[in-house]
Amino acid sequence: MIKHRLPLLFFAVAALATPYSVQRIFLHTGIEKKMGTVQKIFYFHVPLAWIMMALGITCGVAAAIQLRKAATGRSRMAESLSIAAGELVLVTGLGVLITGPIWGHATWGRAWTWDARQVSTGLLWLVFAAFVLLRRYGAAGSERLAAALAVFGAVDVPVIYYAVKIWKTTHPTTDVVGSLPAQMWNSLWPALGALVCLTVGVLLVRIRQEQDAAELDDAWIALDDRGRALTLGGAP
Amino acid sequence: MLDAAVLAAPPCDTTAPVVPLARQAWLLAKNDLRQELRDLELVLTAAFFTLVVLVMFALAFAALPAADQTLAVPGMLWLAVAFVGALTLTRIFDREREADTLRAVLTWPVDRVAIYFSKLGVTLLVITGCGALLMPALGLLFPAAEVFWQRPLDAAALLVLGCLAYAAVGALFAAGLATASGKNVLLSVILYPLTSPALIFALVSTRALLEGHAQFHTYLGQLAALDAVLVAVASWLFEPVLLGSNARPAERRPSARAKRTP
Amino acid sequence: MRREDAPAAATAKPDKDDAYEPVTGRDQETVQCVRACEAEAAAKTASDYEHVVWAYGVLWSLFAGYGVLLWRRAVAQRQDLAELRRRIDEA
Repeated sequence: MIKHRLPLLFFAVAALATPYSVQRIFLHTGIEKKMGTVQKIFYFHVPLAWIMMALGITCGVAAAIQLRKAATGRSRMAESLSIAAGELVLVTGLGVLITGPIWGHATWGRAWTWDARQVSTGLLWLVFAAFVLLRRYGAAGSERLAAALAVFGAVDVPVIYYAVKIWKTTHPTTDVVGSLPAQMWNSLWPALGALVCLTVGVLLVRIRQEQDAAELDDAWIALDDRGRALTLGGAP
Repeated sequence: MLDAAVLAAPPCDTTAPVVPLARQAWLLAKNDLRQELRDLELVLTAAFFTLVVLVMFALAFAALPAADQTLAVPGMLWLAVAFVGALTLTRIFDREREADTLRAVLTWPVDRVAIYFSKLGVTLLVITGCGALLMPALGLLFPAAEVFWQRPLDAAALLVLGCLAYAAVGALFAAGLATASGKNVLLSVILYPLTSPALIFALVSTRALLEGHAQFHTYLGQLAALDAVLVAVASWLFEPVLLGSNARPAERRPSARAKRTP
Repeated sequence: MRREDAPAAATAKPDKDDAYEPVTGRDQETVQCVRACEAEAAAKTASDYEHVVWAYGVLWSLFAGYGVLLWRRAVAQRQDLAELRRRIDEA
């Protein structure tokens, strides 16, 4: 029972936290001096990027558990989690990759500047796109391969960030996060909370669906087995 | 396609005398190399491909100003390595699949990781060989790349470390796709995003070498560390990936119904 | 603060209401300059709002789109389950 209600709980919290954080961001937080109103994108863009990375690592860790604990209940749970997290990396990543350039278009005058963070987020998104593609279109038996891909994706998270950073050493990087007044940080947390609740709720729903799909498969197989036993003339 | 029973069987080396992993890997690799020497298929196709790519680069970039060459040459080098690598990796397990020898190898008293290391070794040999063709040739073609001739040891270390990072990831996924029923198209879908950090790293290091940057050796050390991580993770994952499938029964048996639930 | 000032100013000069008082510091140049600045600021703000609205819209429509995907999947699963039940009843 609680399993079914849990996503609802998260959605409810998100439904409360979202309007609160939006009014807080727009009505009670000062306008940033250099960038102006457009900096308001930051309050959802940055938490979403954090969530994306956390989901990527979750996906990798779950995939590793899936691989090491073969064919047990826990393996299935981990598999569902890795699929759900992998798909959500694509959704949140798309959000980051679209809101980022919109922000960039307003502040830098250009949407895509091959800034280190843009490139590394893009690469990370590609890795998980490969994961989802492989899960969806890979032949039977490729789900372990996809899991290995997810593990590498998670290992790649820090490597990508570091590699792109040293690749861009010649370019100045704008360090927005870290030098913000406390007021702006305080407005970031409700937004982060709202997004986390929304994401976790969706994640739970997706996990549940994946588990249901697995159980349905099992049921179909059991039915097929019984049908075969009957047609072969054996006693049911 | 590998037989599920063979795959599910425990490795046979539990009671056999313990042969060191390195020796097992060497024996397997030697076997592959002996076969390769017989028909030279991998080496010749890869070398020919490298040559064609080189000619293309020479034609396309001959008039490139020297200042731009330091930016372009690393790209040429590692793009060529990436393409040759994909070419080699699609072939490296094909022989096993065609003759169904992977199943035989799996019943041998060898550690499964040894299979990974043998394949990694062969792949590394082929693509480093192609790189060894590429580097001096690029050095001749482009004045900015003369460093490859002036500092051959550094260049060789860079080449081996960069290729190792690529091959470490590639060998694992080539093996995985060899056991899944032959959708090799997916290899490039997987390979390029996953190896891009390694390739960017190699790219940065190569540029540092060309520019005579002081940090070149630091980058080289970091590349070596990345290699260690990638090889460790790949060898850790190799057995579960190769030992195939805890696929959902319905995926293995499509007869049960028309379409599996989305 | 302003509110306190206003009545004080009003009481200070009650009999000078109709007297001519020159406006200082408001020459044509300054006015135009200020207007230009204001126009620029307004344009910037409008453009910023446009960007912000687009960003938020895209964000929430992404989640909504994924929600629709999940919902469709759930419908398909429910149909599958119904089909399974039917087959079991037949058997």
